[in-house]
Amino acid sequence: MKWFAPIALSIKLPLLAAAMMVLVGTVASQQVLRSLAQVQDARIRELARMHVEGLSVALGPLVLRHDIWEVYDTLDRAAQAGEGRRMVLTAVADERGRVLAATDPRRVPMDSDIAALGGEAVTLDELSVDGAAPILSLLAPLTYQGRTVGQIATELDVSDLLAERRQALVLLILGNAIAIGLLSVAGFLAIRKMLHPVTTLARQMTESGGEPRPIPPLEIPQGDGELARLARTYNAMVGAVAARAEAERRLADRERFVALGRLSSSLAHEINNPLGGLLNATDTIRTFADRPEAVRRSADLLDRGLRHLRDVTRATLDQNRIDPEDRALGTDDFEDLKLLIQPEVSRLALDLDWLVHLDGADLSKIPAGPVRQISLNLLLNACAACRPSGRVGLRVCAAAHALTIEITNTGPGMPQAALDRLLGDGPMSPGGGVGLRLVRELVNGLGGRITHAHDHGATVITVAVPTHREAAHAQE
Amino acid sequence: MKYLFSRRSLVGLGLVALLSGRAHGQPVFRLGLTPVFLDNDAAVIDGLRRALSRGMGRDIELVQRRTYQEITGLLLDRSVDAAWLCGYPYLQHADVLDLVAVPVWRGGPRYQSYLIVGPEDGAEALSDLRGGTHAFSDPDSNSGYLVTATDLRRMGEQVESFFSRSIFTFGHRNVVRAVADGLVRSGSVDGYVWEALAVIEPDLTARTQVIARSEWLGFPPVCARGDSLNSEPVEALQSALMGLHATEEGRQALASLQLDGFQPATAGLFDGIAERMSDLDP
Repeated sequence: MKWFAPIALSIKLPLLAAAMMVLVGTVASQQVLRSLAQVQDARIRELARMHVEGLSVALGPLVLRHDIWEVYDTLDRAAQAGEGRRMVLTAVADERGRVLAATDPRRVPMDSDIAALGGEAVTLDELSVDGAAPILSLLAPLTYQGRTVGQIATELDVSDLLAERRQALVLLILGNAIAIGLLSVAGFLAIRKMLHPVTTLARQMTESGGEPRPIPPLEIPQGDGELARLARTYNAMVGAVAARAEAERRLADRERFVALGRLSSSLAHEINNPLGGLLNATDTIRTFADRPEAVRRSADLLDRGLRHLRDVTRATLDQNRIDPEDRALGTDDFEDLKLLIQPEVSRLALDLDWLVHLDGADLSKIPAGPVRQISLNLLLNACAACRPSGRVGLRVCAAAHALTIEITNTGPGMPQAALDRLLGDGPMSPGGGVGLRLVRELVNGLGGRITHAHDHGATVITVAVPTHREAAHAQE
Repeated sequence: MKYLFSRRSLVGLGLVALLSGRAHGQPVFRLGLTPVFLDNDAAVIDGLRRALSRGMGRDIELVQRRTYQEITGLLLDRSVDAAWLCGYPYLQHADVLDLVAVPVWRGGPRYQSYLIVGPEDGAEALSDLRGGTHAFSDPDSNSGYLVTATDLRRMGEQVESFFSRSIFTFGHRNVVRAVADGLVRSGSVDGYVWEALAVIEPDLTARTQVIARSEWLGFPPVCARGDSLNSEPVEALQSALMGLHATEEGRQALASLQLDGFQPATAGLFDGIAERMSDLDP
């Protein structure tokens, strides 16, 4: 039945309905024909029984006396009567099987053996119109006063019954064909119409590039049937999916700003601290303008402070750039990250282990933006998870096929809800932030993998990103 | 069976019914009939009965039996007053029976016995029928048995051995049917009956052919016991038979029977039959 599977439901169901009708029609026709055959058999047996019994009564004494003329005369007169049309030939023999007389004496002469006539003859109880023979042969004992005095052989013409049966068969076939044809067409159209909303639903779900589209209101069935409810429910689901996607997008945006917000105080501190030194340097320059050495040192100090401010500003701008994915990842990006996380690390009085080893690696296929966002989010979480005087680490190394980013912290370990957001695609429990889920989605987008381990008091989140997307696809 | 004579007879029946009052007051006269060709036609029988009844001035009961022997027996034991017999049984009981009248057919009181076969049969004479099946009318019939039996005897044959099987149909018309239907190969039949059937049932006789005719023999006569020949009822019958041609219904009855009339019979008329009887049982 594999060939049947690809056929559309709107063709399959009407075909099934038509097949059922053909089956029912065939079974019903067979029953009708069987009943007709039984009626005909009963009719022919009854007729033959009456014929034999009537002849037995009339011929019994004549056969006993071997009165050939009277036997013939009785048979001849019986043949002229109505049943003669059915009984095409009747022959009567004595108890030894010698023919006394027959309705057709030329065919069955006097004194011939009746067995020669009844070669294929059956008994009364075996008489049946079955088969194609238009003439049935019957051989029955001629019983008179309780004893068998002879035999009666009769040939019955059942061609009219066979014709009746053939006619019934033809009428049944014709009637069934017409009825099944009409019903199949009607069923096909009706089921096709009934299935139209399902077809529309399937089209809206599949023909829009994987993004479900709502069913136009005009195509939603009238009333409150299952299909109307299905269409409305589908539209509601499409709306909910779109709303969810929109909400997630907004949350992701917000998360970015949240991350920046969390950075801003540190950044302010980072900017504010050198500002005092810089202002002191300008005071020194004003005060000791005549002392070139002091001016040079102050100018150097100003230069370093301003460069630092420039770097911080650039890193912040890069991080917040709207479309950062076009640029490939580089060592600078991790320097920027270090610059960005350093103030937070300092604020929380944490130790930072930083090891970035990208020499010789081909990172041209890895976009910078997502990796920066992933690393920053994980670092910020690691900082938040650490107790004061804890240790936060970033370890990046590039192998032949993958870039591995390992974020460690000495915090107490991630709660289960946070792990679910980071490692699973299930619905997010309310209350938690979307930063970790954003990390997961970004890693998925890069074709990467996240693993988590908590061992010897350290939590390790490892993100592996393939350096070649095609290779990653091939591995999948 | 419906034919011209029956319709004519029916017209006469109405007239007879109107005049039937004359028959009251006399004892019923019983006339026995051998199974001649007409015995299967109630209208012919009834026409004859009414015509004779009118001529005799009394009711007539026509008594029919299957065999000649039964009718002869009825006549001998006076169960019937007279009987239309065959020359053969008359001669068998000539010591007791006497002749009342004899029919006139085709101008004379004689008829022939016919030997018939099927139309396709190649036989041309009795001798060609050896080993075949044969139908006789009645063992006491002259034309339907005696003639063929004596012909065989004259050939030095016996009925039982010459034919493979012979049957009695107890009716001349039945002999014609048996041959026509192919039940038997050949048959011995009353020539008068065959000729009458050729007129009223030509389809039946057309399925037979006559291959031999006997000499002219005395026509089956109407007989009575000799001791009652001069009784009033028998004389009334005799005059009624002789006068049939004088009345309309009488003529209709004669026409139905295809007879010209009746005439007085003499014993010498049956000498030919007597001769055959002596040949058969010397």
